[in-house]
Amino acid sequence: MMNAADRTRLRHEFEDLLYHEAWLLDNDQLEEWLELFSDTIRYWAPVRGNMEPGREDLSQPHLLAHFDDDKTSLTLRVKRLRTGAAHAEEPRSRIRHFVSNVQILETDGPDRVKVGSNFQVFRSRWEGTEHVFVGCREDWWRRIDTTWKNEERFILLDHNVLENMTVFF
Amino acid sequence: MTDWSHLIDLEKCTVSPRVFVDEEVYRDEQERIFGRCWLYLAHESQLPNPGDFVTCYMGEESVLACRTASGKIRVFLNSCRHRGARMCRLDAGNAKAFTCPYHGWTYDNQGRLIGVPQFKEAYYEELNREDWGLIEVPRVESFRGLIFACFDENAQSLDAYLGDMKWYLDLIFNKTEGGMVALPGLHRWNLGGNWKLAAEQFNGDNYHTGAAHESMLKIGLGPANGQFLGDQPWVRDFEAKLDNGHGWINFKIDMAGGVPAPLAQHMERMQAAARQRLTPAQSELVGCVHVGNVFPNFSILTFLGFLTIRVWHPRGPHNMEVYSWSMIEQEAPPEVVEIARKMQILTFSPSGIFEQDDGEMWGNSVKALRGMHRRNFPLNYQMGAGHGRTDPDKPGLIHPPSTEIGIFGVYERWQALMGGA
Repeated sequence: MMNAADRTRLRHEFEDLLYHEAWLLDNDQLEEWLELFSDTIRYWAPVRGNMEPGREDLSQPHLLAHFDDDKTSLTLRVKRLRTGAAHAEEPRSRIRHFVSNVQILETDGPDRVKVGSNFQVFRSRWEGTEHVFVGCREDWWRRIDTTWKNEERFILLDHNVLENMTVFF
Repeated sequence: MTDWSHLIDLEKCTVSPRVFVDEEVYRDEQERIFGRCWLYLAHESQLPNPGDFVTCYMGEESVLACRTASGKIRVFLNSCRHRGARMCRLDAGNAKAFTCPYHGWTYDNQGRLIGVPQFKEAYYEELNREDWGLIEVPRVESFRGLIFACFDENAQSLDAYLGDMKWYLDLIFNKTEGGMVALPGLHRWNLGGNWKLAAEQFNGDNYHTGAAHESMLKIGLGPANGQFLGDQPWVRDFEAKLDNGHGWINFKIDMAGGVPAPLAQHMERMQAAARQRLTPAQSELVGCVHVGNVFPNFSILTFLGFLTIRVWHPRGPHNMEVYSWSMIEQEAPPEVVEIARKMQILTFSPSGIFEQDDGEMWGNSVKALRGMHRRNFPLNYQMGAGHGRTDPDKPGLIHPPSTEIGIFGVYERWQALMGGA
């Protein structure tokens, strides 16, 4: 068990890391952003439905998702944005990530931590089509040498009907 | 009724921008197209058991499709007869009865009004409940598990409506014993653009792939030879213009990066299964890229082992809402389902690296076409006009990609429905 002071210290460490991540995304430093993920990352955002209370089963096999990426496909997405021909991001949207409610959800030894956070992402597209995406993330981070790498990102979007999704969370 | 047929010029193969942006045209489409044509609702694999239901749309109308105790599927407007409130707010489930959340009128899944609060005290038992059942959509028919419904009681059968399109749909939906099944979940998203721009692209627009999806070629995810065209024109690589405004694109490409081995093996097995069930001419086409549209707004795309089927629901002339499902052969092992599912999410979903580009284009078009001056100048649909051929091996008027023969068929059909008669 971790004591309260250690927990707070760890939370501050991840707040810094998640703010840094948001800064990379907002400033189009996507190659640096990719380096935050381990080579075994699962980057996953299941679809949300309107079900009876308690009936939404996000772990059911083969459920559709808005993202279900590994490092290779995430890298492809970034590469594509760099071609100058990814028309839904030409010219690039103005994007801002807001991260809050950071908490340490679970630890697995000193080098594995599950971190929860909420996000809001604002996107202003072209002449003014504006969208806000809201949700939370649950990440499993692992310390490799002195660096934290994200091994699993679960993204829960609080939307049923979405928009053209050109942003990362 | 206003006659809109002058908006399509059959001689010149042109279409007026008003077809895509005019509010009055849009309102008349709701009645004359969405009120008369067969509209896709759901796949039978989504409601296998008695009591199962799904909610979906027919045009702008929310409907409730129910599997009754006898196994029959009945479709009702999802609106209470008392004050019109949306009855069911769930995507899907299993229920014997539906209670309106507003005043509590209750209907069974055959649409009968079976419960009225204060029936004795407030209505003096004078309300004739038989007259106030849910409003039923009169026609519901299926083809290979695909459930369609139609508001027009006198419409031709679904079988006749699909016509030659059935020959092509069978390449996907009848190639194996178990047929196709829907994966759980629905991609649902808003897009700018008139619904017909999406429908016509799936009907027969292979021409956009080089420019709109240029980024895919640049990252080496496109065809090995750099073109989404195939190398057997007329034979395996062709587009077909079909009756009633339906259309089909068919071509075979080798992907630059190849495909994962389990998926390649699965596709070979499916092709072998198809040979047992389909004609030789059909079997030759199984495993190709298939893209198609059933008029008005039901589209299909299969590529790299996955199948997406979707409906472009109209939401005013300038917007649409997409309902998109993912399907796979019932025989596919879990490992293959996962490969195909992930491939579809990466390529054709709201975040899809093909889909994003298409989604940008349709909104772009209507933004420009809305201009009062721009709308006076027609759009060009002349590509390939007069060069189509018939082929003893396959139905429709065919031509290799690229051509707009099939796409213009959408507007010929639109014109026939949108005249004044």
